[in-house]
Amino acid sequence: MTSFAPLLVLDDIRKNYGAIEALKSISFTIGKGEVVALLGDNGAGKSTLVKIIAGGLEPTSGRMTFDGRDFLAKSPSEAKAAGIETVYQDLSLATNVDVVANFFMGREITRKVLGMSVLDEKAMEAVVAKALASAGTRIPSLRTKVEHLSGGQRQAIELNRFVHWGGKLVLLDEPFAALGVEQTRRGLEMIRAVANQGIGVVIITHIMQQAFQVADRIVVIRQGVVAGDVATKDTSPDAVVNMITGETLAAAGAAG
Amino acid sequence: MNPNTRRALEFVLDNLVWFMLLFVLLVFSIFVPNYFQPGIFANIIEASSVLGVMSIGLALVIIAGHMDLSVESVAALSAMAVGIVFCSAGIGMGVQLTPDWLGVPVSLLIALAVGSAIGAFNGLLIVKLKMNAFIVTLASYIWVRGVVLALSGGRSAQDLAPAIRWFGVQRLLGLPLTAWIAILCFVVFSLIMAKSRFGRHLIIIGGNQNAAFRAGIKVDRILITSFVLAGAIAALAGWLLAIRTSGATANLGMGLLFNAFAAVVIGGVSLKGGVGALPGVYAGVLLLSAINTAINLMGLPATSTQVIHGLLVLAAVLLDTLKLSIRQKLA
Repeated sequence: MTSFAPLLVLDDIRKNYGAIEALKSISFTIGKGEVVALLGDNGAGKSTLVKIIAGGLEPTSGRMTFDGRDFLAKSPSEAKAAGIETVYQDLSLATNVDVVANFFMGREITRKVLGMSVLDEKAMEAVVAKALASAGTRIPSLRTKVEHLSGGQRQAIELNRFVHWGGKLVLLDEPFAALGVEQTRRGLEMIRAVANQGIGVVIITHIMQQAFQVADRIVVIRQGVVAGDVATKDTSPDAVVNMITGETLAAAGAAG
Repeated sequence: MNPNTRRALEFVLDNLVWFMLLFVLLVFSIFVPNYFQPGIFANIIEASSVLGVMSIGLALVIIAGHMDLSVESVAALSAMAVGIVFCSAGIGMGVQLTPDWLGVPVSLLIALAVGSAIGAFNGLLIVKLKMNAFIVTLASYIWVRGVVLALSGGRSAQDLAPAIRWFGVQRLLGLPLTAWIAILCFVVFSLIMAKSRFGRHLIIIGGNQNAAFRAGIKVDRILITSFVLAGAIAALAGWLLAIRTSGATANLGMGLLFNAFAAVVIGGVSLKGGVGALPGVYAGVLLLSAINTAINLMGLPATSTQVIHGLLVLAAVLLDTLKLSIRQKLA
């Protein structure tokens, strides 16, 4: 169905919370360099699915293949080590430290002083300055604590962080919730640029327009199953809305 | 606002407690007779060494977003362990090592082993079993003091081995070595917090534990380490306390915990976690000590110190709120 080489293959992923089936058999593929928009109503299971891929949750059953190998991350650090970066809905920033410390969280550069590892602030600041400049994000001082920055600036830091660290697959859980029009446009461009490097992107969004702007393919989840999996160019917003609300099922590709 | 005024203002806000300390010393020097002399200042530093060291461990855990109420009892137990082994009178066993300087590393190791073990116990319960830090360390505060009472039978150990006492007697530049040990601790741990990966991760965990976890930081390991450190540092404080008092009594160090809390809060560490630095804590300790000294010199009843300490803590929290609103205007 896609022209992209497969990067992450989900095969019959299920997740139960007691008697409740949050996900009942999810199967789809994300290609290298492909942008997949994951849509669905509140509670459809999108965030649960993202957490399973990112190592925050374990599936009840099912298989995942990542980059040709069997894959199941037991923790976020395992997923990260495999090359999966996640941007969560509630931002993963520590507001009590500065921009540089957030950008390098868990990956600090150190240098040796008298045989001891000392944080290399200058080197880190230079990298952050370059990364932010090339993304067109302007923050007055990189030494400002994040708590003093606006919601948009925070989200920009988070987005720039994933662009910089890249990896192989990026998961974005409603990344533009706090962004203005201009910043959203730039964010979408960033996603395109990341995908063009051959990185797979999964973006969860509620805004149909964004999905159509940026995604190669749209996957709709409804009540824990894949209710639609279509190339963006072969469908229309109306058809996708129907998939989300459940008026038509998988065959929606022909609509519009 | 131009960048220079802004930077100056930020500097003052960041080091507010040092300015308060200078201000208080200045006021006392002018208005309290006999306050302004080197001996008094040396005394302020000397008197704050035990409290200072204990405050470091407490501050580390609070910066990480947790709490350790057990530090006072841990210090007492470590002091008692050292006292029982190396004191020659009272309940002391008067163990003699040859050469006798060997008593220094051995007594220190005994103290640190006791402190680290209790710290590890606290840390494992809090991090692995996800028990509430306040409750776990409150329990430790009680049972560790109970162990001190049981071990000593309510009696005391006196006459610490002279080789160990030496640290409290020998002076360098007018300060006893025990004071230098406290200063060294502040320098070392300030550097660790500001310059090492461990320190950076501890601060990030205090700010947003979830984000730290998602970023792949080994949150559990770092938190347990911080509790072990708090225990070990409290034990070092206990070792210094045993030297200062040349032994140990069953109620040794009672009340230090609240002074340590006061120093940490006055020093600018937020009980919410993630905010504060150790140099400020040292200034907080010195500030308390400077005020105590003034009270003594003025001949006020010692009971009034408690009232003043309490008010000082309130003032510190008030100041913190004020600082926050100024910063928000700056940003």
